[in-house]
Amino acid sequence: MQTTTIDRALLALSGALVLTGTVVLGIVEILAGEPYGAAPVEQTNAAGEVVNTIYPAVDPTIRTGLVIAGLVVLLAAAGYRMARGVGAADEVAHQPEVVAD
Amino acid sequence: MATRAATPLSEAFEFEVDGALTAYWIAALRVITGWWFFHAGVTKLITDGLNFTYGPGYLKGMTGTALGPLPVWMGENLAWLIKPGVPLFETLIGLALMAGVLVRLAAFGGAFFMTLFWVGNAGFGHGLVTGDFMGLLLFVTMGVLATGRYYGLDAVIERTEFVRRRPRLKYLLG
Repeated sequence: MQTTTIDRALLALSGALVLTGTVVLGIVEILAGEPYGAAPVEQTNAAGEVVNTIYPAVDPTIRTGLVIAGLVVLLAAAGYRMARGVGAADEVAHQPEVVAD
Repeated sequence: MATRAATPLSEAFEFEVDGALTAYWIAALRVITGWWFFHAGVTKLITDGLNFTYGPGYLKGMTGTALGPLPVWMGENLAWLIKPGVPLFETLIGLALMAGVLVRLAAFGGAFFMTLFWVGNAGFGHGLVTGDFMGLLLFVTMGVLATGRYYGLDAVIERTEFVRRRPRLKYLLG
């Protein structure tokens, strides 16, 4: 695979965004204490009434946004390769042969 | 050679996409992912026909998400497309993946659907990585690995003169 600096930068950015949204902020969420998931948790009393709601440390909208941004960057990396015409070598290789006479 | 003799399965399990087991497994994943979407689409077609009215309402309810106003706008303005489009495109995406035709295009469509489901369902009680997210990653994987080239019809289509003369089509096939 022929890669340029821009290719590598886009792939690195994509991976960083996806992993930040999932793993890095997931670790932050665990270290911050309950709730360990990424959604609010309602605490109820014995009668089943909601007495308190605890929210995640990091808004899940931010985390999903980071992941989606990472996937968009990955799509951009594919678009960049397409625009550059990677695969054009095949096109040249299959052009009709030109002879001298 | 000594290493090869000591690990006779090293070639069978090596991370070469065209390695025997890798190609088989990638093709199997593609067909199963395709069946997943085909089943979702065709059962909607059976029950609702081309009038999946739940779709626009679902999108209108997606307020305050990472996708901003896009889903709500789609629900309000693209209902004419979403009602027939959800069952139809799910079915077609599934068929494309199972047959291995236009896999990258189908995978993009599937990833778009799964992004909306992942964010819209927002079942993050056990963390951000949900079943919907794993489905989204499956579609991305289908596209990145060009899985239609392994036991799929894209392998045949890409060898035609038409595609050889237009190599950019491999970004939709594969």
